[in-house]
Amino acid sequence: MVATLTRRFGDLDIAEEAAAEAFATAVERWPADGLPPNPGAWLTTTANRKAIDRIRRENKRDDKHKEAQMVYDDPPEPLGAIDDDRLRLIFTCCHPALAMEARLALTLRMVGGLTMPEIARAFLVAETTMGQRITRAKAKIKAARIPYRVPSAEDLPSRVSGVLAVLFLVFNEGYLASGPDTDPLRHDLTAEAIRLTRLIRALLPNDGEVAGLLALMLLIEARRPARVSATGELVALDEQDRGAWDTGLIAEGHRLVRERLAAAGAGVAPGRYQILAAINAVHTSARDMRDTDWSQVLALYNQLIRVDLSPIVALNRAIAVAELDGPEVALAAVNRLEDKLAGYHAYHATRADLLRRLGESQQSRAAYDKAIELAGNTAETAYLTRRRDQLQ
Amino acid sequence: MRYLVSVIDDKDSPGSTDRQPAISAFNERLIAEGYWVFAGGLADTDAATVIDNRGEQAVFTDGPFAESKEYLAGVWVWEAPDLDVALKLATEASKVCDRKIEVRPFQ
Repeated sequence: MVATLTRRFGDLDIAEEAAAEAFATAVERWPADGLPPNPGAWLTTTANRKAIDRIRRENKRDDKHKEAQMVYDDPPEPLGAIDDDRLRLIFTCCHPALAMEARLALTLRMVGGLTMPEIARAFLVAETTMGQRITRAKAKIKAARIPYRVPSAEDLPSRVSGVLAVLFLVFNEGYLASGPDTDPLRHDLTAEAIRLTRLIRALLPNDGEVAGLLALMLLIEARRPARVSATGELVALDEQDRGAWDTGLIAEGHRLVRERLAAAGAGVAPGRYQILAAINAVHTSARDMRDTDWSQVLALYNQLIRVDLSPIVALNRAIAVAELDGPEVALAAVNRLEDKLAGYHAYHATRADLLRRLGESQQSRAAYDKAIELAGNTAETAYLTRRRDQLQ
Repeated sequence: MRYLVSVIDDKDSPGSTDRQPAISAFNERLIAEGYWVFAGGLADTDAATVIDNRGEQAVFTDGPFAESKEYLAGVWVWEAPDLDVALKLATEASKVCDRKIEVRPFQ
């Protein structure tokens, strides 16, 4: 049982303590209450609850991480009253009658518990703007009588995809905006996004996109320890210390991806989160960039581009093309996206890298300059500056 | 909770003109299910008149208050317990009328 608990909670101390407490409770209760019909299951369930209680009590950030790592029982434990309430709140904050920016602000404020200044900073808007946004959203909920409840089974699937969009945006704010590890806001954002996605998964254990989004978040979060250098510079995938990746999160992400691949094999077409998760699974399976199965990555992008017409997908697909067909072919594909992505720093950064590989130093420098100008965060700017300054 | 449910038509791309039987059937359901408070189709915007008597003299203007290609074609008033119910009905209404629908609460 301790082994099961250790696998589940990733912590031997917690597992041992929880197991010991469960046994102690059994010794206390069973003589009086009688033997439960399934003593093994009783012990496991009790130990799980004790471990969860301890993690919540301690409430440290890396324990929150462990909480985020919790694997639910199969069948899942019934949701507690607190979870029901949080679900009601999430669905209300993510109601389709609210504008997306209102949904984001509300979810972070009401469900995530962030302060107004923190949310304003996360989205780079003035506090007064953010305040008005939230006030107006709350006023609309009241005036139009948006109900405070979990949607009916019939409405659930479409409402869930709205929630997933919000959670993914929250996650991205926490992930992409992260600088050196002094601002706890960012860790809390990604951990919060993961926690909320797990809640939704408990409600809809068979929903492929929920599983896909969770897998995607875990596989991205797993790379966090390697993503920013000691000097606060972004470390791109090709330079990351893969030994620093969180193997627990990767293992869970891979398990979810395999589960969804099996469903796809049975004929259920995968949605975009599942495909993105699969792409990340390929990356996190490789020892280094060269060891990466790029043809599988490209095949997945070819699938993704059919369900997600965003030019950013086309951009990322081109990066995979570069690995297989060389930078010249890839650059041609990237240049076709000029109209749509001229204001996006990653477009220019991608061009800069491809031009560098083609030996076009001057053009590469110009592209890096553009990317630096447009980049929103200091870790990214530092990285781009270094790459530019490394040009001949 | 009462909602004003407006049917919006577009002069550049008007909705189909054969919707009346479907609309009547929809109205009958709204009445049977207790949501219907009022319904009315509107005459063309050309038939509207605007009166401005905020100043010294009343001014009459021929036409709707806002000249735009989108305009009000009809109105309902529904009684519904919350917005989810109203939106579900409005989703159906939009299909039935082949037009956009605005759902707006009364104060």
